[in-house]
Amino acid sequence: MALIKIALAGEGGQGVQSVAEIIAEAAYNEKKQTIYIPNFGLEQRGGVSIAFIQVSDTRIGAPKFNKADAVLALSERAIARTAAYSDENTLFVYDSSFKINPDELPKKVKHIIGLPAIDTANNELHPRVFNIIIMGAVIGLTNVVKFETAKEALEHKLGYKFESNPELRTLNFKALEIGKELAVKSLREGVFNHA
Amino acid sequence: MQKVIGETKKAFLTGNEAIAWGCLAAEADMMFGYPITPQNEIMHYWTRLAPKYGKEFLQTEDEISAGFTVCGAIQSGIKAFTATAGPGNVLMQEPFGMAEGMRLPFFAIIQQRGGPSSGTVIYSQQEVSLTCYGGNGEGHRIVYSTATHQELYDYTIKGFNTAWKYRFPTYLLGDGYQAKMREPLEMYEPSERGIDIIKPYPLLGLEGHIGTDREPQHLRNIYSMEEELYDVVLKNDADYNSVRQEITEYSEFNCENAEVIIISHGVVSRAAEDAVKVLRAQGIKAGSFRPITLRPFPREQLLAVLEKSNAKKLLITESALGQLERIVKYEIYGQTLPIETLFMPGVGIIDYDIIQKIKSII
Repeated sequence: MALIKIALAGEGGQGVQSVAEIIAEAAYNEKKQTIYIPNFGLEQRGGVSIAFIQVSDTRIGAPKFNKADAVLALSERAIARTAAYSDENTLFVYDSSFKINPDELPKKVKHIIGLPAIDTANNELHPRVFNIIIMGAVIGLTNVVKFETAKEALEHKLGYKFESNPELRTLNFKALEIGKELAVKSLREGVFNHA
Repeated sequence: MQKVIGETKKAFLTGNEAIAWGCLAAEADMMFGYPITPQNEIMHYWTRLAPKYGKEFLQTEDEISAGFTVCGAIQSGIKAFTATAGPGNVLMQEPFGMAEGMRLPFFAIIQQRGGPSSGTVIYSQQEVSLTCYGGNGEGHRIVYSTATHQELYDYTIKGFNTAWKYRFPTYLLGDGYQAKMREPLEMYEPSERGIDIIKPYPLLGLEGHIGTDREPQHLRNIYSMEEELYDVVLKNDADYNSVRQEITEYSEFNCENAEVIIISHGVVSRAAEDAVKVLRAQGIKAGSFRPITLRPFPREQLLAVLEKSNAKKLLITESALGQLERIVKYEIYGQTLPIETLFMPGVGIIDYDIIQKIKSII
Protein backbone atom coordinates (compact mmCIF):
# COMPACT_ATOMS: atom_id res chain seq x y z
CA MET A 1 0.00 0.00 0.00
CA ALA A 2 1.39 3.36 -1.03
CA LEU A 3 1.24 6.34 1.29
CA ILE A 4 -2.33 7.66 1.72
CA LYS A 5 -2.77 11.25 2.92
CA ILE A 6 -6.09 12.52 4.22
CA ALA A 7 -7.11 15.93 5.57
CA LEU A 8 -10.38 16.27 7.47
CA ALA A 9 -11.58 19.75 8.31
CA GLY A 10 -14.61 21.09 10.10
CA GLU A 11 -15.91 23.14 12.97
CA GLY A 12 -15.00 22.46 16.58
CA GLY A 13 -17.53 19.98 17.98
CA GLN A 14 -18.23 18.24 14.66
CA GLY A 15 -16.07 15.37 15.75
CA VAL A 16 -13.39 15.76 13.09
CA GLN A 17 -10.53 14.88 15.42
CA SER A 18 -12.38 11.93 16.97
CA VAL A 19 -13.00 10.41 13.56
CA ALA A 20 -9.39 10.95 12.51
CA GLU A 21 -8.20 9.31 15.69
CA ILE A 22 -10.43 6.25 15.14
CA ILE A 23 -9.25 5.88 11.52
CA ALA A 24 -5.61 6.16 12.65
CA GLU A 25 -6.23 3.62 15.40
CA ALA A 26 -7.79 1.23 12.88
CA ALA A 27 -4.79 1.60 10.56
CA TYR A 28 -2.42 0.98 13.46
CA ASN A 29 -4.43 -2.17 14.33
CA GLU A 30 -3.88 -3.34 10.75
CA LYS A 31 -0.14 -3.08 11.53
CA LYS A 32 0.33 -0.19 9.15
CA GLN A 33 2.59 2.79 9.72
CA THR A 34 0.35 5.63 10.78
CA ILE A 35 0.66 9.26 11.78
CA TYR A 36 -2.24 11.35 12.94
CA ILE A 37 -1.73 14.97 13.92
CA PRO A 38 -4.45 17.44 14.84
CA ASN A 39 -3.92 21.08 14.23
CA PHE A 40 -4.21 22.56 17.66
CA GLY A 41 -3.78 26.26 17.24
CA LEU A 42 -6.23 28.85 18.45
CA GLU A 43 -8.81 27.14 16.17
CA GLN A 44 -9.87 25.30 19.30
CA ARG A 45 -11.37 28.56 20.40
CA GLY A 46 -13.71 28.99 17.45
CA GLY A 47 -12.15 28.21 14.11
CA VAL A 48 -11.69 25.47 11.56
CA SER A 49 -10.24 22.30 13.01
CA ILE A 50 -8.07 20.14 10.71
CA ALA A 51 -6.86 16.58 11.18
CA PHE A 52 -3.95 15.21 9.14
CA ILE A 53 -3.77 11.44 8.70
CA GLN A 54 -1.09 9.45 6.89
CA VAL A 55 -1.10 5.68 6.46
CA SER A 56 1.53 3.57 4.73
CA ASP A 57 3.24 0.18 4.71
CA THR A 58 6.62 1.84 5.15
CA ARG A 59 7.99 4.40 7.58
CA ILE A 60 6.36 7.82 7.22
CA GLY A 61 8.48 10.97 7.14
CA ALA A 62 7.21 14.44 8.02
CA PRO A 63 4.03 14.58 10.14
CA LYS A 64 2.30 17.05 7.83
CA PHE A 65 1.95 17.17 4.05
CA ASN A 66 1.16 19.77 1.45
CA LYS A 67 -1.25 17.85 -0.83
CA ALA A 68 -3.74 15.22 0.26
CA ASP A 69 -5.23 12.26 -1.60
CA ALA A 70 -8.56 13.10 -0.03
CA VAL A 71 -9.75 16.35 1.53
CA LEU A 72 -13.08 16.36 3.35
CA ALA A 73 -14.38 19.85 4.13
CA LEU A 74 -17.20 19.49 6.63
CA SER A 75 -18.22 23.11 6.94
CA GLU A 76 -18.52 26.00 4.52
CA ARG A 77 -15.55 27.79 6.07
CA ALA A 78 -13.50 24.61 5.90
CA ILE A 79 -13.63 24.67 2.09
CA ALA A 80 -11.47 27.78 1.79
CA ARG A 81 -9.26 26.65 4.64
CA THR A 82 -8.42 23.30 2.99
CA ALA A 83 -8.26 24.28 -0.67
CA ALA A 84 -4.48 24.62 -0.30
CA TYR A 85 -4.16 20.90 0.46
CA SER A 86 -5.63 19.92 -2.92
CA ASP A 87 -4.08 19.34 -6.30
CA GLU A 88 -4.89 17.35 -9.45
CA ASN A 89 -4.63 14.05 -7.54
CA THR A 90 -7.03 15.03 -4.77
CA LEU A 91 -10.57 13.89 -4.15
CA PHE A 92 -12.18 17.01 -2.69
CA VAL A 93 -15.33 16.26 -0.71
CA TYR A 94 -17.81 18.72 0.74
CA ASP A 95 -21.38 18.46 1.92
CA SER A 96 -23.89 18.99 -0.84
CA SER A 97 -26.16 20.99 1.47
CA PHE A 98 -23.66 23.86 1.71
CA LYS A 99 -24.92 27.06 0.17
CA ILE A 100 -21.77 28.11 -1.56
CA ASN A 101 -20.73 29.87 -4.69
CA PRO A 102 -19.10 27.44 -7.20
CA ASP A 103 -16.10 29.80 -7.32
CA GLU A 104 -15.33 28.91 -3.75
CA LEU A 105 -14.53 25.30 -4.64
CA PRO A 106 -10.97 24.46 -5.64
CA LYS A 107 -10.51 24.21 -9.40
CA LYS A 108 -7.64 21.84 -10.13
CA VAL A 109 -8.57 18.65 -8.33
CA LYS A 110 -9.13 15.07 -9.48
CA HIS A 111 -12.80 15.11 -8.51
CA ILE A 112 -15.07 17.37 -6.54
CA ILE A 113 -17.65 15.30 -4.73
CA GLY A 114 -20.71 16.67 -3.01
CA LEU A 115 -22.00 14.15 -0.45
CA PRO A 116 -25.41 14.53 1.27
CA ALA A 117 -23.97 13.59 4.66
CA ILE A 118 -25.70 16.25 6.74
CA ASP A 119 -29.14 15.55 5.19
CA THR A 120 -28.66 11.80 5.55
CA ALA A 121 -27.68 12.17 9.19
CA ASN A 122 -30.58 14.49 9.96
CA ASN A 123 -33.28 12.68 7.98
CA GLU A 124 -32.35 9.00 8.12
CA LEU A 125 -30.19 8.57 11.22
CA HIS A 126 -29.35 11.13 13.87
CA PRO A 127 -27.43 14.45 13.62
CA ARG A 128 -24.89 13.05 16.10
CA VAL A 129 -23.59 10.45 13.66
CA PHE A 130 -22.74 12.93 10.92
CA ASN A 131 -19.04 12.45 11.64
CA ILE A 132 -19.38 8.66 11.43
CA ILE A 133 -20.96 8.98 7.97
CA ILE A 134 -17.91 11.01 7.05
CA MET A 135 -15.66 8.32 8.50
CA GLY A 136 -17.43 5.77 6.30
CA ALA A 137 -16.98 8.08 3.32
CA VAL A 138 -13.23 8.31 3.97
CA ILE A 139 -13.02 4.52 3.83
CA GLY A 140 -15.19 4.34 0.71
CA LEU A 141 -13.06 6.91 -1.07
CA THR A 142 -9.58 5.77 -0.07
CA ASN A 143 -9.76 2.19 1.29
CA VAL A 144 -7.34 3.47 3.89
CA VAL A 145 -8.53 0.75 6.29
CA LYS A 146 -10.79 -2.28 6.00
CA PHE A 147 -14.42 -1.74 6.89
CA GLU A 148 -14.28 -4.41 9.59
CA THR A 149 -11.20 -2.89 11.23
CA ALA A 150 -12.94 0.48 11.22
CA LYS A 151 -15.93 -1.08 13.01
CA GLU A 152 -13.64 -2.65 15.60
CA ALA A 153 -11.85 0.67 16.21
CA LEU A 154 -15.22 2.38 16.55
CA GLU A 155 -16.31 -0.26 19.04
CA HIS A 156 -13.05 0.22 20.95
CA LYS A 157 -13.55 3.96 21.12
CA LEU A 158 -17.28 4.08 21.86
CA GLY A 159 -17.87 0.64 23.37
CA TYR A 160 -18.46 2.09 26.84
CA LYS A 161 -21.35 4.16 25.43
CA PHE A 162 -22.69 1.22 23.43
CA GLU A 163 -22.83 -0.90 26.58
CA SER A 164 -25.44 1.32 28.19
CA ASN A 165 -27.28 1.98 24.95
CA PRO A 166 -26.95 -0.81 22.35
CA GLU A 167 -29.05 1.16 19.87
CA LEU A 168 -26.16 3.57 19.58
CA ARG A 169 -24.00 0.74 18.25
CA THR A 170 -26.53 -0.08 15.53
CA LEU A 171 -26.86 3.60 14.69
CA ASN A 172 -23.11 4.18 14.44
CA PHE A 173 -22.43 1.06 12.39
CA LYS A 174 -25.27 1.97 10.07
CA ALA A 175 -23.88 5.49 9.67
CA LEU A 176 -20.47 4.02 8.86
CA GLU A 177 -21.97 1.76 6.22
CA ILE A 178 -24.14 4.47 4.66
CA GLY A 179 -21.14 6.83 4.52
CA LYS A 180 -19.09 4.20 2.76
CA GLU A 181 -21.88 3.45 0.29
CA LEU A 182 -22.45 7.12 -0.51
CA ALA A 183 -18.76 7.50 -1.33
CA VAL A 184 -18.47 4.28 -3.35
CA LYS A 185 -21.59 5.18 -5.28
CA SER A 186 -20.34 8.63 -6.18
CA LEU A 187 -17.02 7.19 -7.35
CA ARG A 188 -18.65 4.35 -9.32
CA GLU A 189 -21.27 6.44 -11.02
CA GLY A 190 -18.98 9.37 -11.51
CA VAL A 191 -21.69 11.63 -10.16
CA PHE A 192 -19.37 14.42 -9.33
CA ASN A 193 -20.82 17.71 -8.45
CA HIS A 194 -18.75 20.08 -10.49
CA ALA A 195 -21.10 22.80 -9.31
CA MET B 1 10.94 -1.79 42.00
CA GLN B 2 7.46 -2.10 40.55
CA LYS B 3 7.55 -2.97 36.84
CA VAL B 4 5.91 -0.22 34.84
CA ILE B 5 5.80 -1.66 31.35
CA GLY B 6 6.16 -5.39 31.98
CA GLU B 7 6.38 -7.29 28.70
CA THR B 8 7.69 -5.19 25.82
CA LYS B 9 4.69 -3.91 23.91
CA LYS B 10 3.72 -1.92 20.86
CA ALA B 11 1.71 1.22 21.48
CA PHE B 12 0.05 3.93 19.41
CA LEU B 13 0.35 7.10 21.46
CA THR B 14 0.89 10.84 21.34
CA GLY B 15 4.46 11.95 21.97
CA ASN B 16 3.55 13.52 25.29
CA GLU B 17 2.12 10.18 26.46
CA ALA B 18 5.25 8.35 25.30
CA ILE B 19 7.37 10.77 27.36
CA ALA B 20 5.24 10.34 30.49
CA TRP B 21 5.67 6.55 30.19
CA GLY B 22 9.39 7.06 29.57
CA CYS B 23 9.67 9.08 32.80
CA LEU B 24 8.02 6.22 34.71
CA ALA B 25 10.29 3.66 33.07
CA ALA B 26 13.27 5.83 34.05
CA GLU B 27 12.09 5.60 37.67
CA ALA B 28 11.49 9.34 38.03
CA ASP B 29 10.01 10.24 41.42
CA MET B 30 8.37 13.61 40.97
CA MET B 31 7.39 16.19 38.39
CA PHE B 32 7.15 19.90 39.09
CA GLY B 33 5.45 21.85 36.36
CA TYR B 34 3.43 24.74 35.12
CA PRO B 35 1.01 24.34 32.19
CA ILE B 36 1.95 25.48 28.73
CA THR B 37 1.00 24.16 25.29
CA PRO B 38 2.23 21.95 23.67
CA GLN B 39 3.73 20.31 26.75
CA ASN B 40 0.57 20.09 28.87
CA GLU B 41 -0.24 16.43 28.31
CA ILE B 42 3.08 15.32 29.79
CA MET B 43 1.74 16.78 33.03
CA HIS B 44 -1.72 15.38 32.43
CA TYR B 45 -0.51 11.83 31.82
CA TRP B 46 2.02 12.02 34.63
CA THR B 47 -0.64 13.10 37.11
CA ARG B 48 -2.89 10.32 35.87
CA LEU B 49 -0.16 7.67 36.15
CA ALA B 50 1.67 8.99 39.22
CA PRO B 51 -0.74 7.83 41.96
CA LYS B 52 -0.72 4.27 40.59
CA TYR B 53 3.04 4.06 40.97
CA GLY B 54 3.56 6.05 44.16
CA LYS B 55 4.91 9.09 42.31
CA GLU B 56 4.40 12.77 43.08
CA PHE B 57 3.42 15.93 41.25
CA LEU B 58 3.34 19.58 42.21
CA GLN B 59 1.99 22.40 40.07
CA THR B 60 3.94 25.51 41.01
CA GLU B 61 2.97 29.15 40.54
CA ASP B 62 5.11 29.61 37.43
CA GLU B 63 8.01 28.15 35.46
CA ILE B 64 10.69 29.89 37.53
CA SER B 65 9.34 28.13 40.57
CA ALA B 66 8.93 24.80 38.77
CA GLY B 67 12.60 24.93 37.79
CA PHE B 68 13.86 25.89 41.24
CA THR B 69 11.75 23.26 43.00
CA VAL B 70 13.37 20.67 40.72
CA CYS B 71 16.78 22.07 41.73
CA GLY B 72 15.81 21.67 45.40
CA ALA B 73 14.28 18.22 45.08
CA ILE B 74 17.31 16.91 43.22
CA GLN B 75 19.63 18.07 46.01
CA SER B 76 17.59 16.05 48.49
CA GLY B 77 18.08 12.94 46.33
CA ILE B 78 14.77 12.85 44.49
CA LYS B 79 14.72 12.08 40.79
CA ALA B 80 12.69 15.15 39.85
CA PHE B 81 12.02 16.66 36.42
CA THR B 82 9.97 19.24 34.58
CA ALA B 83 8.67 19.99 31.11
CA THR B 84 8.00 23.29 29.40
CA ALA B 85 7.89 25.20 26.12
CA GLY B 86 8.30 28.62 24.53
CA PRO B 87 7.98 31.48 27.03
CA GLY B 88 8.13 28.88 29.81
CA ASN B 89 11.55 27.81 28.54
CA VAL B 90 12.61 31.47 28.69
CA LEU B 91 11.53 31.76 32.34
CA MET B 92 13.21 28.50 33.22
CA GLN B 93 16.62 29.67 32.09
CA GLU B 94 17.30 31.05 35.58
CA PRO B 95 16.89 27.69 37.35
CA PHE B 96 18.55 25.92 34.39
CA GLY B 97 21.53 28.22 34.95
CA MET B 98 21.60 27.25 38.62
CA ALA B 99 21.60 23.58 37.63
CA GLU B 100 24.47 24.28 35.24
CA GLY B 101 26.46 26.22 37.85
CA MET B 102 25.88 23.73 40.67
CA ARG B 103 26.19 20.67 38.42
CA LEU B 104 22.73 19.39 39.31
CA PRO B 105 21.38 16.31 37.49
CA PHE B 106 18.45 18.25 36.05
CA PHE B 107 16.39 16.61 33.29
CA ALA B 108 13.80 18.68 31.41
CA ILE B 109 11.64 18.12 28.37
CA ILE B 110 11.18 21.05 25.99
CA GLN B 111 8.38 20.91 23.40
CA GLN B 112 9.20 23.79 21.08
CA ARG B 113 6.44 26.15 19.94
CA GLY B 114 6.57 29.20 17.69
CA GLY B 115 8.29 32.39 18.85
CA PRO B 116 9.26 35.05 19.75
CA SER B 117 7.06 35.59 22.81
CA SER B 118 3.85 33.56 22.86
CA GLY B 119 4.30 33.09 19.10
CA THR B 120 2.17 30.08 18.27
CA VAL B 121 1.15 27.14 20.44
CA ILE B 122 1.87 24.80 17.55
CA TYR B 123 5.41 24.00 16.43
CA SER B 124 8.88 25.32 15.67
CA GLN B 125 12.58 24.64 16.11
CA GLN B 126 13.21 28.10 17.51
CA GLU B 127 14.28 27.05 21.00
CA VAL B 128 17.62 25.61 19.89
CA SER B 129 19.77 28.60 20.92
CA LEU B 130 17.85 28.99 24.18
CA THR B 131 18.04 25.33 25.16
CA CYS B 132 21.69 24.89 24.13
CA TYR B 133 23.11 28.21 25.26
CA GLY B 134 20.45 29.98 27.35
CA GLY B 135 21.17 31.53 30.72
CA ASN B 136 24.21 33.50 31.81
CA GLY B 137 26.57 30.56 31.52
CA GLU B 138 28.64 28.73 28.93
CA GLY B 139 26.21 26.13 27.59
CA HIS B 140 27.47 23.23 29.67
CA ARG B 141 24.35 21.30 28.83
CA ILE B 142 23.39 18.13 27.00
CA VAL B 143 20.61 18.47 24.44
CA TYR B 144 19.02 15.51 22.63
CA SER B 145 16.94 16.48 19.59
CA THR B 146 14.49 13.65 18.89
CA ALA B 147 12.70 12.76 15.65
CA THR B 148 10.33 9.87 16.38
CA HIS B 149 8.09 8.65 19.17
CA GLN B 150 10.48 5.75 19.70
CA GLU B 151 13.22 8.27 20.36
CA LEU B 152 11.00 10.28 22.72
CA TYR B 153 10.69 7.15 24.84
CA ASP B 154 14.31 6.03 24.44
CA TYR B 155 15.87 9.43 25.10
CA THR B 156 13.64 10.18 28.06
CA ILE B 157 15.09 7.08 29.71
CA LYS B 158 18.59 7.93 28.50
CA GLY B 159 18.25 11.62 29.42
CA PHE B 160 17.70 10.91 33.12
CA ASN B 161 20.70 8.59 33.15
CA THR B 162 22.88 11.13 31.34
CA ALA B 163 21.92 13.86 33.81
CA TRP B 164 22.59 11.69 36.89
CA LYS B 165 25.79 10.22 35.47
CA TYR B 166 27.52 13.37 34.23
CA ARG B 167 25.70 15.97 36.30
CA PHE B 168 25.11 18.44 33.52
CA PRO B 169 21.55 19.67 32.89
CA THR B 170 20.10 17.43 30.19
CA TYR B 171 17.27 18.22 27.81
CA LEU B 172 15.00 16.29 25.53
CA LEU B 173 14.27 18.83 22.80
CA GLY B 174 11.02 17.92 21.05
CA ASP B 175 8.41 20.09 19.40
CA GLY B 176 4.67 20.55 19.14
CA TYR B 177 4.33 18.07 16.27
CA GLN B 178 6.10 15.34 18.20
CA ALA B 179 4.10 16.27 21.30
CA LYS B 180 0.69 16.01 19.69
CA MET B 181 0.92 13.49 16.90
CA ARG B 182 0.16 9.80 17.26
CA GLU B 183 2.66 7.27 15.98
CA PRO B 184 3.54 3.67 16.85
CA LEU B 185 6.42 2.89 19.20
CA GLU B 186 7.67 0.04 21.34
CA MET B 187 7.73 0.46 25.10
CA TYR B 188 9.99 -1.73 27.21
CA GLU B 189 11.47 -2.14 30.65
CA PRO B 190 14.97 -0.59 30.51
CA SER B 191 16.38 -3.74 32.16
CA GLU B 192 15.12 -5.81 29.20
CA ARG B 193 17.48 -3.82 26.97
CA GLY B 194 20.39 -4.03 29.35
CA ILE B 195 19.92 -0.43 30.50
CA ASP B 196 20.80 0.14 34.15
CA ILE B 197 18.78 2.98 35.61
CA ILE B 198 21.03 5.21 37.70
CA LYS B 199 19.56 5.59 41.18
CA PRO B 200 19.23 9.12 42.52
CA TYR B 201 21.44 10.11 45.45
CA PRO B 202 21.28 13.05 47.84
CA LEU B 203 23.71 15.89 47.30
CA LEU B 204 23.08 17.48 50.70
CA GLY B 205 22.54 16.23 54.26
CA LEU B 206 24.90 13.31 53.79
CA GLU B 207 25.85 10.81 56.47
CA GLY B 208 29.01 11.21 58.49
CA HIS B 209 31.00 13.96 60.16
CA ILE B 210 32.53 16.57 57.91
CA GLY B 211 36.31 16.57 58.17
CA THR B 212 36.63 13.11 59.69
CA ASP B 213 34.18 10.89 57.76
CA ARG B 214 33.87 12.84 54.54
CA GLU B 215 34.76 15.98 52.63
CA PRO B 216 32.28 18.86 52.83
CA GLN B 217 29.70 18.87 50.06
CA HIS B 218 30.08 22.40 48.81
CA LEU B 219 27.37 23.22 46.27
CA ARG B 220 27.44 26.89 45.37
CA ASN B 221 25.82 29.16 42.86
CA ILE B 222 27.64 32.30 44.00
CA TYR B 223 31.27 33.11 44.67
CA SER B 224 32.82 36.12 46.36
CA MET B 225 36.03 36.09 44.34
CA GLU B 226 36.44 36.42 40.58
CA GLU B 227 39.17 33.78 40.62
CA GLU B 228 37.00 31.24 42.42
CA LEU B 229 34.31 31.48 39.73
CA TYR B 230 36.96 31.37 37.01
CA ASP B 231 38.34 28.10 38.39
CA VAL B 232 34.87 26.56 38.65
CA VAL B 233 33.85 27.50 35.11
CA LEU B 234 37.12 26.16 33.71
CA LYS B 235 36.76 22.94 35.69
CA ASN B 236 33.20 22.50 34.43
CA ASP B 237 34.41 23.11 30.91
CA ALA B 238 37.22 20.58 31.28
CA ASP B 239 34.74 18.04 32.68
CA TYR B 240 32.35 18.73 29.80
CA ASN B 241 35.06 18.32 27.19
CA SER B 242 36.36 15.13 28.80
CA VAL B 243 32.97 13.41 28.36
CA ARG B 244 31.92 15.14 25.14
CA GLN B 245 32.83 12.27 22.82
CA GLU B 246 31.05 9.59 24.81
CA ILE B 247 27.83 11.65 24.94
CA THR B 248 27.78 12.82 21.32
CA GLU B 249 25.30 11.12 18.99
CA TYR B 250 24.42 11.59 15.34
CA SER B 251 23.02 9.71 12.40
CA GLU B 252 23.83 9.84 8.71
CA PHE B 253 21.96 8.60 5.69
CA ASN B 254 23.45 7.97 2.24
CA CYS B 255 26.35 10.38 2.79
CA GLU B 256 28.92 8.25 1.00
CA ASN B 257 29.57 9.72 -2.45
CA ALA B 258 26.89 12.36 -1.76
CA GLU B 259 27.39 15.60 -3.68
CA VAL B 260 25.03 17.57 -1.54
CA ILE B 261 24.53 16.92 2.16
CA ILE B 262 21.44 18.08 4.02
CA ILE B 263 21.99 18.98 7.66
CA SER B 264 18.86 19.07 9.82
CA HIS B 265 17.78 17.99 13.28
CA GLY B 266 14.72 16.69 15.06
CA VAL B 267 11.51 16.03 13.19
CA VAL B 268 12.82 17.85 10.08
CA SER B 269 15.42 15.11 9.60
CA ARG B 270 12.57 12.73 8.71
CA ALA B 271 11.70 14.95 5.76
CA ALA B 272 15.40 15.21 4.89
CA GLU B 273 15.77 11.41 4.72
CA ASP B 274 12.65 11.11 2.57
CA ALA B 275 14.00 13.84 0.29
CA VAL B 276 17.29 11.92 -0.05
CA LYS B 277 15.39 8.79 -1.12
CA VAL B 278 13.43 10.68 -3.79
CA LEU B 279 16.48 12.58 -5.03
CA ARG B 280 18.60 9.42 -5.21
CA ALA B 281 15.86 7.72 -7.23
CA GLN B 282 16.11 10.65 -9.66
CA GLY B 283 19.89 10.29 -9.92
CA ILE B 284 20.78 13.20 -7.65
CA LYS B 285 23.43 12.19 -5.12
CA ALA B 286 22.12 13.57 -1.86
CA GLY B 287 22.82 12.54 1.73
CA SER B 288 21.55 13.53 5.14
CA PHE B 289 23.41 14.27 8.37
CA ARG B 290 21.56 14.69 11.62
CA PRO B 291 23.05 15.75 14.95
CA ILE B 292 21.09 13.89 17.65
CA THR B 293 22.97 15.77 20.36
CA LEU B 294 22.90 19.48 19.50
CA ARG B 295 25.06 19.94 22.62
CA PRO B 296 27.66 18.53 22.49
CA PHE B 297 27.61 18.86 18.71
CA PRO B 298 29.04 15.94 16.66
CA ARG B 299 31.75 18.13 15.14
CA GLU B 300 34.37 15.47 14.38
CA GLN B 301 31.69 13.14 13.05
CA LEU B 302 30.34 15.76 10.66
CA LEU B 303 33.84 16.61 9.47
CA ALA B 304 34.52 12.90 8.88
CA VAL B 305 31.31 12.59 6.87
CA LEU B 306 32.24 15.59 4.74
CA GLU B 307 35.66 14.06 4.22
CA LYS B 308 34.41 10.69 2.99
CA SER B 309 31.61 12.15 0.87
CA ASN B 310 31.98 13.96 -2.37
CA ALA B 311 30.11 16.99 -1.05
CA LYS B 312 30.19 20.13 -3.13
CA LYS B 313 27.44 21.84 -1.18
CA LEU B 314 25.70 21.75 2.16
CA LEU B 315 22.06 22.53 2.72
CA ILE B 316 21.08 23.46 6.27
CA THR B 317 17.35 23.31 6.83
CA GLU B 318 15.34 24.00 9.99
CA SER B 319 12.03 25.40 11.24
CA ALA B 320 13.91 28.45 12.53
CA LEU B 321 15.82 31.32 10.97
CA GLY B 322 19.36 30.00 11.32
CA GLN B 323 19.70 28.71 14.89
CA LEU B 324 21.09 25.35 13.75
CA GLU B 325 23.02 27.08 10.98
CA ARG B 326 24.92 29.27 13.47
CA ILE B 327 25.95 26.19 15.45
CA VAL B 328 27.03 24.25 12.36
CA LYS B 329 29.06 27.15 10.97
CA TYR B 330 30.82 27.61 14.29
CA GLU B 331 31.52 23.91 14.69
CA ILE B 332 32.96 23.35 11.20
CA TYR B 333 34.87 26.63 11.04
CA GLY B 334 37.53 26.45 8.35
CA GLN B 335 35.52 24.39 5.87
CA THR B 336 35.04 26.19 2.59
CA LEU B 337 32.07 24.29 1.20
CA PRO B 338 29.30 26.60 0.04
CA ILE B 339 26.36 26.52 2.48
CA GLU B 340 22.80 26.93 1.23
CA THR B 341 19.86 27.30 3.61
CA LEU B 342 16.16 26.51 3.78
CA PHE B 343 14.72 28.28 6.81
CA MET B 344 11.01 28.03 7.64
CA PRO B 345 10.68 29.53 11.13
CA GLY B 346 7.69 28.15 13.00
CA VAL B 347 6.50 26.10 10.03
CA GLY B 348 6.81 22.40 9.28
CA ILE B 349 9.20 21.30 6.52
CA ILE B 350 8.29 18.39 4.27
CA ASP B 351 10.36 16.40 1.76
CA TYR B 352 8.82 18.35 -1.13
CA ASP B 353 10.26 21.64 0.21
CA ILE B 354 13.73 20.14 0.51
CA ILE B 355 13.61 18.44 -2.91
CA GLN B 356 12.63 21.71 -4.61
CA LYS B 357 15.39 23.58 -2.79
CA ILE B 358 18.06 21.03 -3.70
CA LYS B 359 17.03 21.11 -7.35
CA SER B 360 17.32 24.88 -7.35
CA ILE B 361 20.88 24.88 -5.99
CA ILE B 362 22.59 22.08 -7.91
